[in-house]
Order: sequence, then C-alpha cells, then structure tokens
Amino acid sequence: MKASYFAAMGYSERHSFPQTWPIPPAYNDPETSVQSYQDGIEECEFAEEMGFDWLSFSEHHYSGRVSTGTPSVIAAAVAERCKRVKIAMLGHLLPLNNPVRIAEELAMLDNLTNGRVITGFLRGTPNEDQVYSMNPAEGRGRLLEGMDLVLKALTEPQPFSWEGRYFQFRTVAVWPRPVQQPYPPVIVATRSDDTIRYAAEHRMSLGVSFVPVDQMAAITKKYRGWCEEAGWSPTPDNIIYRGSIHLAETDKAADDWFESLKQFKLGPTIPLRRTVAEAIQSARTGGEFDLRNLVAGSPEGDVVGNAPGLNFMGGPDTVAKQMKEFHDRAGVGVVDLLFQQPRMDHRGVMKEIELFGKGVLPQIKEY
Amino acid sequence: MPNSVVKAVFKECQVDADGCSIRYWEAGQGRPVIMLESTGWRQSMLHDTLAEKYRIISLELPGTGDSPANTSSKSIGDLAATAAKAVATITAERYTLIGTSFGAHVALWQALQAPEQVEALILVSPTAIKPLEVLAKATAQEVHQSMFAHPENAEKHPALSQEIFAKEQELVGRLTSGAHDAVAESRLGEIRCPTLAIFGQQDRFVSPEAARVYKENIANSNIAIVYDAGHCIIGDRPEALVNSVSDYAEHWETFIVGHQTGLINP
Repeated sequence: MKASYFAAMGYSERHSFPQTWPIPPAYNDPETSVQSYQDGIEECEFAEEMGFDWLSFSEHHYSGRVSTGTPSVIAAAVAERCKRVKIAMLGHLLPLNNPVRIAEELAMLDNLTNGRVITGFLRGTPNEDQVYSMNPAEGRGRLLEGMDLVLKALTEPQPFSWEGRYFQFRTVAVWPRPVQQPYPPVIVATRSDDTIRYAAEHRMSLGVSFVPVDQMAAITKKYRGWCEEAGWSPTPDNIIYRGSIHLAETDKAADDWFESLKQFKLGPTIPLRRTVAEAIQSARTGGEFDLRNLVAGSPEGDVVGNAPGLNFMGGPDTVAKQMKEFHDRAGVGVVDLLFQQPRMDHRGVMKEIELFGKGVLPQIKEY
Repeated sequence: MPNSVVKAVFKECQVDADGCSIRYWEAGQGRPVIMLESTGWRQSMLHDTLAEKYRIISLELPGTGDSPANTSSKSIGDLAATAAKAVATITAERYTLIGTSFGAHVALWQALQAPEQVEALILVSPTAIKPLEVLAKATAQEVHQSMFAHPENAEKHPALSQEIFAKEQELVGRLTSGAHDAVAESRLGEIRCPTLAIFGQQDRFVSPEAARVYKENIANSNIAIVYDAGHCIIGDRPEALVNSVSDYAEHWETFIVGHQTGLINP
C-alpha cells in the first residue's frame, strides 16, 4: 500500500469557528493565516521525509477547515519544497470551474514538478454547488463533460473548438503540454454508479472518501466489474481511499484523546442551514422544494451536516490492521489521510506524521 | 444560436451535368451556400437556419438518395467535378461549400478542383482522412445505429432503405474503397479558402486524429469537436452543429471571436 498525506492546510484556530458555512472571512486573522499555511507546508515536508508517497490537495471553498480553494496554488508552493513525492490533486471541482483553465493548471504543475502530478476530478460536496452559483441539477453533466474537455485539452496538439452542452470554447490550445504523456494519471472521486462506470470505461482510477470498509468493498466490487467489462483490470494503485485518522502511541492514548473531545461541542464538518441543505439536495435530484413546507426550528436545530468521524484510530499496529482490512476487502492500494482533526494542533499533527512514518508505513508497505 | 427556426420552403429543381440529371433543393436569398449531403435529401434545422440568411442549394449527388445508380463517375474527383459543373450552371457566384460525411469527401475534392468557385469550405464529419473500418456486411439499420452517440437519437431518424443503402455503399466503395484518401491528404495544402472541419466527439466512422490533419495542412483552417455527438452530428446535437456552422458561414475564421454578451444587468 501507498500512503498519501492530505494537505488540508487548516486554519490553526479552526476550533473557534461558528457552526455555519461559509465561515465568515471576519474569522480570518492574517497573521494566524500566514502561520497556518507555513505549518501546513512544514507538515508536507515532514510527511515526505517520513516516507509518504503522495501529498494530496483538494479544492474546498469558504472554510478554514480545508483552506485550499485554489489547490494548484498551494500545490505549486509545496512542490517547490518537496521534490520526491507525487503531487496529487484530489481534486478539482470540475462542475464549478472552467475546464480549460484546469487543464492549463494541471499541465503547468506537471511541468513544474517534472511529471509528478496525479490528477483527480470530482463534483464536490453539496454546499460547494453554491460557490460560483452553479445550478446543482447541472453538476453531473458538467463533471462528465468537463472531464472529457480537460483530457482533450491536454492531448490535442492542434488548436480546436469545443462545442459542448455546458462549455463552449472556440479556441483551445493548452500550453505547455504535460510532461507525462498522454496525460497524468487520472482519478475520479465518486460514489455514484454512473461516474464509477465512467472511470472504469476510461481506464481511470477510483477515489472514494470516508465510507466504512463494507461500503468501500461494495463500491470497488462494482468498479472492478465495470473495468473487466471495459477490458482491463485495475491494480491496487488504481483504488484510492481517503479517510480521517488519529494515530497515537497506543490504542488507549487514542481512545483517551477521543474521549477528551467530548468535553467540546463539535458540530458538523460542513454545517448548513437545513433549508439550504434541503434546497440543494432537491435541486441536485431535480425535485421540487417549497421552503414553506419546512417548520423553522431552533437556531441549533436548523443546522445540519455530517459529524466529524474517524476512519482510522488507535496505535500503530491497530491502524495498520485497519488499513489492511481496506486493502484485503476493498482492494485499496493508496490511503489518503486527513490528520488535521478537530482541536489537533500543528505539533500534534507533526507527532502523528512521525509515528505514522515509523510505526505504520513499514507495515502497510508490505500489503 | 437560433431559438425558433422557421421551417424554410425548399423548391425541388433539376440540373444536368456530365450526362447526369441532378436534383437539388433551393430556398432563401443571399450569398449562395451549396450543401452536399451524405445521402438522400432530408431537410434539417441546419438547412432552415441557413436559409434565413443565404441562398441554399442542396445537391443530391449522383448515385445517392433516390437518384439512379451512378456508374459514370470513375473517381471521387470525377464526382466532385460533376458537382462543380452542376453548381456552376445554377450560380455564377462564388459560394460557401458545406459537405457532410461522404458529401464532405466530395466537397473536399470540389474545393481542390474548383478553387475559384469555393470561397469557404465547411466539412462536417468528413470521411476522407483516416476513416475507420465499418463492419463488413453491416445492414442499413446497423450502420444507422452506429452513426449516433445515443440510440434514442437513431430511433428519431429513419434509416435508409436497404436498397438505397446498398446502392450508396457500392458507389462509396467503388470511389473510395472506404480507405484513407492519401492523395487528398497530400493536396490539403492547396486549399486556400477558409475551412472548418467539424467532428462528433464519439464518431465511430472517422478517427478522432483526422481533425488535426486538416488543421496541420490547411493554412486557414479551424477544427471543432462537438461533445456528445457521433458521426451524425445533426442527429445528436443539432443546436451545436447549427451554431458552429452558421457562425462559420457568417464569420469564417473570425468565428473564434466571441460576440455573446456576458452583461447581466445593462
């Protein structure tokens, strides 16, 4: 197995954020912000030193929990410090963006890193449909067309026009060409059947985030089946799992840390007003939404979202076993790990990275 | 892009060239636009849109559609010469020449042989360069199905009768062998008029690499990829085809310049 460090670049005072999304920029103090990015970059450097194979960067908006709205910018900065690891863009939210611009960023990053880029595409979390005012009903179509356009833009040696359903460009001629030919490895991050099938049919890797191992096994079973239908067999490197982790010296120390969190009132990771969350979901599925059908609740009850959870927790041996289960049951070959947990500071993250490099990596490399 | 296209009234006419009696359909006024179809005459949104601005002359190539079998053309160049003579009889003006599929192959040769007549060339799904092998002994229905990116679009358009299909297959096979036209490729550099080559992204009849051959060899050329469309672009993405063809017919190579406003609140 390979290990990837998810470079969330979280704002260090993120535990003070209100239960809302987006986080008002008023909560951002420039001095703290500058230091938070420096801390995040230092974590990347240390992860490389400790033997991680990839550093991953994600596009997330309007939240200091993952402070990488423009992931190519931070990836370029980190890549100048980290000269060995793969730079995994996991990934760009294609429905929100201009795919030609994304192709240009990927090609440029692949040049700056001399061919170390891995690219990933995804639709994004429902709240992010609201960034740049996209119609949620169009997300799937924009993702599928966007992927085709990015790959065409990266591979077509002559200027061309693109007459799309969602995108129209009369002149596309991406410069520079990627170092990796015909294009960097591509991961489609999804749990949806139609997009899993797209990944399989296009011989792309599959990325799945935060689901339990049973669900991961069911998803990868479908993926492998569709890959076989498309005439190829994915290797473990083609199946990427992103999970949250808390690693401690011992299982008991990890449990104690988890217990200590209970004294704090942790809200959902992406807190949305219930009305907004339901309106987005309704729009995504093409349903009708009538605000008047919702009964207003208390201010706290109005906020919905997924509570922070952990996919890997314990001492080194326990975590290694948990990862082996994903490997054995779901065929996972790369684990992309979020260490920046609630109320975990920079020193704590650095300690976990060291522990992972010394206690877990040697074990999972054998899988 | 036209939101509401008025159906044009096309008049069926006839012209003689090289001993062939050739039917054509005409509508609209303005600069002449000649259309060479891949098969029999079918009025589409593209014809109607162009007829709002131009004098459209849509030619039934001898040996296609309901015309008698063509035994006189000995090469694709012969057929193109016959088409050029027919058009010269209809109009003395220079014209924009639009060809589709096999019709685009003929149009390419027409532009090579009669450059003084053709002021702009639009090739839709041209089969001249890097055609892919069509299944041997495929029926009219099987070929029809594979022309579309989406099966439901195939159902909306009637397939050729087996008789017309067989007649056209014989003509195309005899004139092109269904093979890459190396001579045409070697002469692409002679084309001086503005040229647009349009391909469906999921075309199963022509290699996607064909588009760049036109771009690399024709000095003043553009290539366009229509997303989510097969060989029959007008069947899969009619609005996209109409949009790009009508823009190019109007603006030639400057069709790359954007004219749509992004202003929301004037």
